[in-house]
Amino acid sequence: MSAAVLPTSSGGGRELSNPPSDGISNLRFSNHSDHLLVSSWDKTVRLYDASANVLKGEFMHGGPVLDCCFHDDFSGFSASADNTVRRFVFGTGKEDILGRHEAPVRCVEYSYAAGQVITGSWDKTLKCWDPRGASGPDRTLVGTYPQPERVYSLSLVGHRLVVATAGRHVNVYDLRNMSQPEQRRESSLKYQTRCVRCYPNGTGFALSSVEGRVAMEFFDLSEAGQSKKYAFKCHRKSEAGKDTVYPVNAIAFHPIYGTFATGGCDGYVNVWDGNNKKRLYQYSKYPTSIAALSFSRDGRLLAVASSYTFEEGDTPHEPDAIFVRNVNEVEVKPKPKALPAPPP
Amino acid sequence: MGKKKKRTSKVWCYYCDREFDDEKILVQHQKAKHFKCHVCHKKLSTAGGMSIHVLQVHKETVTKVPNAKPDRESTDIEIFGMQGIPPEILAAHYGEDEETSAKVAKVEVPSNLPVSGVLPGPLGVGFPAAPTYGAVPPVYNPALPMQRPSWPAPPRAQSWYPPQPPIPIPSAPTVLPPQPLFPIQNVTPLTSTTAPGLQSSFQVGPPGLPSSTPPSVSQPLFPITSTSSIPARSSPFLASTLPATIASSSPTVYKGAADMNSISNTPATSGYPAQSNQGGAPYTVSHMYASGPNTGGPSIGPPPVISNKGPATQPATNEVYLVWDDEAMSMEERRMSLPKYQVHDETSQMNSIDAAIDRRISESRLAGRMAF
Repeated sequence: MSAAVLPTSSGGGRELSNPPSDGISNLRFSNHSDHLLVSSWDKTVRLYDASANVLKGEFMHGGPVLDCCFHDDFSGFSASADNTVRRFVFGTGKEDILGRHEAPVRCVEYSYAAGQVITGSWDKTLKCWDPRGASGPDRTLVGTYPQPERVYSLSLVGHRLVVATAGRHVNVYDLRNMSQPEQRRESSLKYQTRCVRCYPNGTGFALSSVEGRVAMEFFDLSEAGQSKKYAFKCHRKSEAGKDTVYPVNAIAFHPIYGTFATGGCDGYVNVWDGNNKKRLYQYSKYPTSIAALSFSRDGRLLAVASSYTFEEGDTPHEPDAIFVRNVNEVEVKPKPKALPAPPP
Repeated sequence: MGKKKKRTSKVWCYYCDREFDDEKILVQHQKAKHFKCHVCHKKLSTAGGMSIHVLQVHKETVTKVPNAKPDRESTDIEIFGMQGIPPEILAAHYGEDEETSAKVAKVEVPSNLPVSGVLPGPLGVGFPAAPTYGAVPPVYNPALPMQRPSWPAPPRAQSWYPPQPPIPIPSAPTVLPPQPLFPIQNVTPLTSTTAPGLQSSFQVGPPGLPSSTPPSVSQPLFPITSTSSIPARSSPFLASTLPATIASSSPTVYKGAADMNSISNTPATSGYPAQSNQGGAPYTVSHMYASGPNTGGPSIGPPPVISNKGPATQPATNEVYLVWDDEAMSMEERRMSLPKYQVHDETSQMNSIDAAIDRRISESRLAGRMAF
């Protein structure tokens, strides 16, 4: 695939030029502009202007970078397999190590509400860092919170933090009181958790597994709240008597409509309406597994990382690429409940 | 989904004339499209039930069945699946592929016949196939010999049977879908006892589907393969299947929501190809039959198509293959363990150098060269 200078207009969206040279672990749009931050297995974090299709900055790490997030439009944080949590400033190109874990850092999030960076690692801990402090791990670390297992995914909404670990554990924290989890839950899916994302309206979270399924959960533990929860199958292929079930690697919520997109190892991106329990759209198949998805702050763009996720080991695969597509309303807007032909 | 299907076309909806692979899907369709309350979306079991519900609960009068064709809108007529359809309408529907139905009828009867002679004409579908195996060979020579050996192969290959042998195969439409099923079953029997096996099987199967063997033959016909809905192995035919779902790969199923299906694919309304077949030969069935009578083109069954459905109906008997089945590790952890991703940070390097130096020192001490 050519990282052509000219945008290739295709059903998949515009392909970003100068993509990373190895797999993409995550990508995120900024909350302030159409800047896209991309972390990769090629040990870099890159900043792109997605609309202009221009690479604006690149930061090297000591190992594959497994996650990244924006602080504001000028700086960001990264989680690397070299056990470090780094901060970098785009304009000056400066970077420094905010702190370390004992094992690869898998997730990083920045909470505006708490003004802290939160990281989850395979060392089975969650750490909170205060980026305003002077640099140096001893000054910035706010707290370390042990988890039952290796952390696989994190998501924040308002004051709530959801942590999904190996062994299907799910811990829900209130950032205002991290001494212990607000809720200790178990994933309602029977298979390994892949990704967890909170609803923009803060009432719950979506959790996906390696078994082609997504569970829609709610924070409200009352019966009324729990009665709304459900799960659905997706990203599966059925042919010749065999069902092939793909991991659902990524979930991204549309910031305005609250509908969400899921991306799986089958190369498809589906958009769902969680309230009406329907699929709204399916984009045409991407060249390889979908590793990450992100909607821009206005919901007009969707960045899709079509990047082989090694679900079948180290095999030859389509080149890893990032596609930025313009989102049409019909693809993401919930439809009012359909009425059958009205009786006269 | 192990019911016998009507020969000829598959089941269809009285209200809108859409066709479905099996009755269960048809009923789900009716409940979702015709028997659903437009106010609260509750699915009822009949049109009449729906109108009573709307009247009692929402105080509204429903006079027409939603999404129904103009002359099928009455809520008085009690339809459930294929039951309750007035005979004249039933006949009119099937009258469209009269030839096929006629053939079908004949198929059932002659099934006992060993073939040849009788078959070609009316049956086309089932019989010709049978004969090929056993009796026919003389007739279809060119085709036959080739096919036998090829059977075992195609099945293994899984779905894409090269269209080659059109072998009409026994029960046309329905049979094909089962492809996947058959290969497994048939391979052996096919190879070993073609003729005898076939013939006996023919006699057995009413609609002409002689249980396993023949079906395998059919596979080649329908390259499309059935996807989902592959019925349990045990039921040879009817498999509804074949939904061309191949196109859309990820069928999604929402608990309880039928709508997901409609999103994926195909407008099914393509209905029965059988109609087009009437002309006889439109298919790819190439005429391995060669010489043979045109029997069957149509009977073989609607070539591809298919319509609706599928995903939702996957029976639990489908084999499930998890692309990632390692419970202990995530994909990223496994990837990290690859040599190319090993992190060589300074500390680890320093550690190894330190270790090497320490070793040298202790060796020297032992050798007496250094003071402790």
